[in-house]
Amino acid sequence: MSTHIGTAAKRKAPHSHPEPSATKVRRRSPTRVNPALYLFPLPAVAVIAFFLLMPTLQAFQYAITDWNGFSAAFNYVGLDNFIRAFTGDSLFTNALTNNLKFVLLVVIAQTAFSLVLALLLTKNSRGSILLRALFFFPTILSSVSVAFIWKFIYDPNFGLANSVLGAVGLESLQGSYLGNNAQALYWVAVTQVWFHAGQMMVVYIAGLQSIPRELYEAAEMDGANRWQQFKSITWPFVAPATSIVVAYTTVQSFKAFDLILGIAGNPPKGSLDILSTRIYSTFANSEFGYAAAQSIIFMGMIALVTWLQRRLLRLTPKGE
Amino acid sequence: MSQISRRQAIALLGALGFGATAAACAGPGGSTAPGGATGPAAPATGNITGKVSFAHWRGEDKAVFDELIKRFEALHDGVEVAQDISTSNDYNAQALQKLRGGSIGDAFATFRGAQFKNFTEAGIYTELKDSKAVANYQPGLLSAGQSGESQLGLPYQVVFPMPLANVDLFDKAGAEIAPKNWDAFLGMCEKLAASGVVPISWPGGDVGNGGQLFNCMIANNAPVDDMCAQIEQGKLKVTDDWFLKMLGQYKDLVPYLQPNATGTAVEPAQNLFSQGKAAMLATGSYHIAAVRGLGAQFPMELVFPNTSDGNAKYEGVYNATFILGVNSASKNQAAAAAWIDFLSEPENAGYYANQTAQHVSVNNVEYTNTDLKRLSPWLEKKTALAARFQFLNLDVRNAVEASATAVISGASPEQAAEAAQKIVDERI
Repeated sequence: MSTHIGTAAKRKAPHSHPEPSATKVRRRSPTRVNPALYLFPLPAVAVIAFFLLMPTLQAFQYAITDWNGFSAAFNYVGLDNFIRAFTGDSLFTNALTNNLKFVLLVVIAQTAFSLVLALLLTKNSRGSILLRALFFFPTILSSVSVAFIWKFIYDPNFGLANSVLGAVGLESLQGSYLGNNAQALYWVAVTQVWFHAGQMMVVYIAGLQSIPRELYEAAEMDGANRWQQFKSITWPFVAPATSIVVAYTTVQSFKAFDLILGIAGNPPKGSLDILSTRIYSTFANSEFGYAAAQSIIFMGMIALVTWLQRRLLRLTPKGE
Repeated sequence: MSQISRRQAIALLGALGFGATAAACAGPGGSTAPGGATGPAAPATGNITGKVSFAHWRGEDKAVFDELIKRFEALHDGVEVAQDISTSNDYNAQALQKLRGGSIGDAFATFRGAQFKNFTEAGIYTELKDSKAVANYQPGLLSAGQSGESQLGLPYQVVFPMPLANVDLFDKAGAEIAPKNWDAFLGMCEKLAASGVVPISWPGGDVGNGGQLFNCMIANNAPVDDMCAQIEQGKLKVTDDWFLKMLGQYKDLVPYLQPNATGTAVEPAQNLFSQGKAAMLATGSYHIAAVRGLGAQFPMELVFPNTSDGNAKYEGVYNATFILGVNSASKNQAAAAAWIDFLSEPENAGYYANQTAQHVSVNNVEYTNTDLKRLSPWLEKKTALAARFQFLNLDVRNAVEASATAVISGASPEQAAEAAQKIVDERI
């Protein structure tokens, strides 16, 4: 289609414009297309503008108001909502701390666990394929189902965890799990890793299977041991996969809203409150302006942490 | 088609972006409240026909409402009522935004307290003061649906947020079911524990249900009846002596709760009780049907944890909730109002009550359900209106109630109260 339009344009050109000068021809980009083609993305642009751009801009506007979500009246409060979030709201700073702790835990554990699984299951043997399917299985469950499964695993009275510990004579290790404020976040992190590690394993397997075998053969001939092979061949080659895994896990962990709400109830208690659940509670509390400000901080936080990770792990080459 | 130059295409996209930006900058709250400056109007009158959406959160009552809907539709040709049910938490969080447009929830229910207040401020209620339904209710129970001179909603259910008791286990242990003071209550727990059962099953891992015990614990400890409203306004503090005394009483309960109580969700707590492993379930009468559904056959009573030293002001607590209303934005107010009238008739309210094992605030209802008959004397006792619903800010409510959970987790009453007061202070 573009060819057709391009040809038509060429045919029309001599009648509508004088012959271009040699200089002008040299300046023209080889990839230049008919300007009518710029209309083609219009439907997509309109959808993005309506469903993404407008709500985002509205969030910025609401964030500087004290609107309660239903009144016709509201006041512009400048940056007060942002100042309140960081200096006058211990629930928000608690959720922020919890969220950063949760992201750190999950990113480290999920990346390491999925890489180890992928290394062990790279070969396309029947056993590996079966195990890959098993490890991938939790990914296809809904987050609410996962939350309820683990809620009952962690139940201190009838739950699987305490029952198993009791059955093997380890009653001393039985605990309250989600009821222990000091530990609750770690137990939810375990659930999150169980839920998504299989998915990340698949990303790593794709990366590992693209590494040429000859590199390992050459390294073996040079006397490199397993660790040296991993460090010098595997890790550099799976860097792009790691970049995807880390970024995706970060965003996923920041937005573990449904898992937290399913496992801890609504509203979650302080030790399990993360930014997304806090924003939801603030909206539910009819503080739309303040919730919008919290949402913007949340958005900025994800962008900042993802960028920092990529820089620190050197997953983004300079200039990209 | 004439060609568009690159510059024109970019200008067009720019204009689109500018339009989106301008549209996004339209101020929030662009529409006025339907109630307007003259206050709420009565529901429109007209033919009882067409579709009526009934929005509420009681999924467990769906079958009972289905039967009532069938009866209502048989009375009025051409009317169709559909239930729009959300979970209670989602309903609490989202109902106002969903209902204010009027596309769902021609008739609806709200919780007492913050939700009722927000619905009132948003002008969603119509005036029911002169409705046929209002005359069917016990006047003393209508206050939860009033705002100033207006009767905006009709509190349909009367629930008792007090521990349910397994009477058989109490008899076996020789424990007194109506303790006269705090020492007697602890003595009762001691006897139950000595008989080999868990005295109290408490869902400390569930904020909503775990917090019901707070209603009982605060009723006779607080210096005033609107104590939670005063805490929220900063007139009372949770670091005050009376509140610390109450937290100390929570600490007294620790040996009598199931192990790891703060991690127990509501379903396992119900199971402990229904299986006869626990003598009390510290939630409320609204869980009777669920407990029966789990197979409990034993007779049930209500126990009031009497925190007084013998001269208690109140003998128990109750809540008037499930506040029925007609949506001011509804296009079918006549049929919605007729549905509310229908629910408020003693015969239909009685059917609802007996099938769901919940008392109602409608007069002249005959309770045939065994549990309701047994608990009916509580309707006549001197009970306090559940205090936790006085909180209009949910963050404040959760923080104050969390202080009790913190004490049960091992914090000292002073530490727990200070942490809660900090959050309250930030929101005054």
